[in-house]
Amino acid sequence: MRPMRIAAAAVLLSLVAAAGCSSGGKQQNATATPGQPAKVVLWHGYTDAEAKAINSLVRQFNASHRDVQVTAQFQGNNDYALQKVLTALAGGKYPDIAYLYGSNAAQIARSPKVVRLTDWVNGGGLPWNDFWPGERAAATVNGQIVGVPALVDNLALVYNKKLFDRAHLPYPTPNWTWDDFRNAARTLTDPSRKQFGWAYVADGGEDTVWRYEAMLWQAGGDILTPDNREPAFNSAAGLKALTLLHDMATVDHSIYLDNGNGNYLGLFDAGKIGMLWTGPWDLADIRDHKVDYGVEILPGDQNHQTISGPDNWVVLDNGKARAEGAKQFLAWLTDPKQLVTWGMATGDLPVRASVSKLPEYAQFVARYPGVGTFTDNLANAQKARPTIANYAKVSEAIGQSVVSVLLGKAQPDAALKTAADQVSSVAGVP
Amino acid sequence: MSVRGRREHLAGWSFVTPAVILIAVFGLVPVGWSLVLSIQHNDLLTPPSWVGLANYRALTHDPVFRSAVWHTVVYTGLFVPVSIVAALAVAVALNRRIRLIRLYRTAVFVPVVFSTVATAITFNWLLEPDYGLVNYGLERLGLPAQGFFRDPNQALLAIVAMTIWGWLGFDVIIYLAALQAVPRELLEAAAIDGAGRLTILRRIVVPLLGPATLFLVVWSTINALQLFDEVYVATRGGPLHATTVIVYYLFDQAFRLFNGGYAAAIAYSLFVAILALTGIQLWIGSRRVHYGSS
Repeated sequence: MRPMRIAAAAVLLSLVAAAGCSSGGKQQNATATPGQPAKVVLWHGYTDAEAKAINSLVRQFNASHRDVQVTAQFQGNNDYALQKVLTALAGGKYPDIAYLYGSNAAQIARSPKVVRLTDWVNGGGLPWNDFWPGERAAATVNGQIVGVPALVDNLALVYNKKLFDRAHLPYPTPNWTWDDFRNAARTLTDPSRKQFGWAYVADGGEDTVWRYEAMLWQAGGDILTPDNREPAFNSAAGLKALTLLHDMATVDHSIYLDNGNGNYLGLFDAGKIGMLWTGPWDLADIRDHKVDYGVEILPGDQNHQTISGPDNWVVLDNGKARAEGAKQFLAWLTDPKQLVTWGMATGDLPVRASVSKLPEYAQFVARYPGVGTFTDNLANAQKARPTIANYAKVSEAIGQSVVSVLLGKAQPDAALKTAADQVSSVAGVP
Repeated sequence: MSVRGRREHLAGWSFVTPAVILIAVFGLVPVGWSLVLSIQHNDLLTPPSWVGLANYRALTHDPVFRSAVWHTVVYTGLFVPVSIVAALAVAVALNRRIRLIRLYRTAVFVPVVFSTVATAITFNWLLEPDYGLVNYGLERLGLPAQGFFRDPNQALLAIVAMTIWGWLGFDVIIYLAALQAVPRELLEAAAIDGAGRLTILRRIVVPLLGPATLFLVVWSTINALQLFDEVYVATRGGPLHATTVIVYYLFDQAFRLFNGGYAAAIAYSLFVAILALTGIQLWIGSRRVHYGSS
């Protein structure tokens, strides 16, 4: 009898395990019944200060809203949020709100499960024009609004004052030209100290590409034609921007080439790199290392445009009640009052322009030196990367070209032509 | 079968059922599913369409895939023989009774315990072209600084060196165990017959290590063909695709560009290649390797 009893136990165990899995799932997917609060699940990738801030805001919301109850869940690193959300969508159990990079908006928008927010926004659900232009563009795919701006940043010039002083260089100004920038980078470069003027992320990924795109826009160029069907970067402007990178990397040797592991930040902190084109996310680390730094808008050519990397809260359809609850929460979360609380806790830039009119905004700027320049610089983020599903392939082609030029393996004109040929074959594909 | 036998049979199956279910669900189903995926156009998001062998045909025209295959072949061709020969040398050196031998053995094995990610990050700084310790050492010796992961001509070699460092300890442990199973009387008999140490190694020890060598060749080859972690962390396939190996390219296609069907076709091609190669290795092994010393 003994083996039989153990056998039964073993089978039972596997049955219970299987049942346990499925019942957990059902609970999450249940739609709200009348009289019950709508349960909204939010996925985020926040850690440290940001995680504390989101949890505190969610608690505050839940305490003041009886009809909607939000659960914030940590999904792990945001770099792979799209992959995780796609997996969840394929599995049929997904959150109501997901944090996604703006560059993924067009990809996720192909899913029918993404709630279109256009009617809600136009009906007064969100004061859309108070969001920055770059954010609005990044949340809009084929004329449809598919996300609520969650985070905005942009590239500005962050420099080490001590290195400028030592080289007897005046600090950057808002009127700096590319020549001023190049000359400063060359002056700051000192092989005997292993010191570089500038750093460029040369892994061929989006980090490589977006800095080049800002330069392309500064020179008056564009990434794609207005209909998003053909490459437009293989222009005089594109060549001028890539030639600047070429000359700085292979003639002046004033650029430290980062292989994508973020070494540049530690080197900047250590006083080995004079200038960075980076966003507010690096400021906390730089401040922690007691670097005497300054922030200025990017140098320019035709203009001083920057590029912004807005991220979105995307609403996924788990039934009407939960979708409505999700919208209600997002409208509350992006209210200036909550945004200034968020900014104070995290140092993130306000996603809405009117936040800077609040009295608390002055405290925010004082608390995070340089962040005011980043906020003002949002006005220079006039263009957005094309929100097309094939942007990843466009980015890949541009990224490899830029790296080949930085490494001295190709001339700017030839590299641009190679990239344009590759983009021609993919960009027009819807 | 007696009642008792049948009961035990049933009990046995009941015990393995959970494991069988797990393997079926997380092993066999994905294997079958990815075969289906490989004959689809599937972006993992919108409804797929059937494309027959188009993904496989596209592979034959894809220059990046072709270079990924070449990089994988070069990597495997360097990694497998170098790591096995080096492991044998280290194992022979460690197979003796000297002071602190346990310390040496532990030291050799430590890199295997390291996560591959930690290894890659460490080497990323050691081999950093401008600030790394290795170039600092080279300059002190009056040698020119190298580009390593930044130089398309050196990046793959740097990955080979890094992974050999990371995996050597595993091969050494296997060889050490095998060396200790070599009968002493054979070695003594050979020594009495006047064989030198090198002759003993070549004519007695190495042949007796045959089964271990066969295992290591098969195992290392499979591992080398599936190289991913170290490339992902250290170089992301760059610079300029110089370290884009097959599995990295598969990952890139599947999870960055969302060409699910195409990625599955890459996976299946690799699967078939590994199956064939392993078959050949085992067939050669069955003719050349003899088991047991009796």
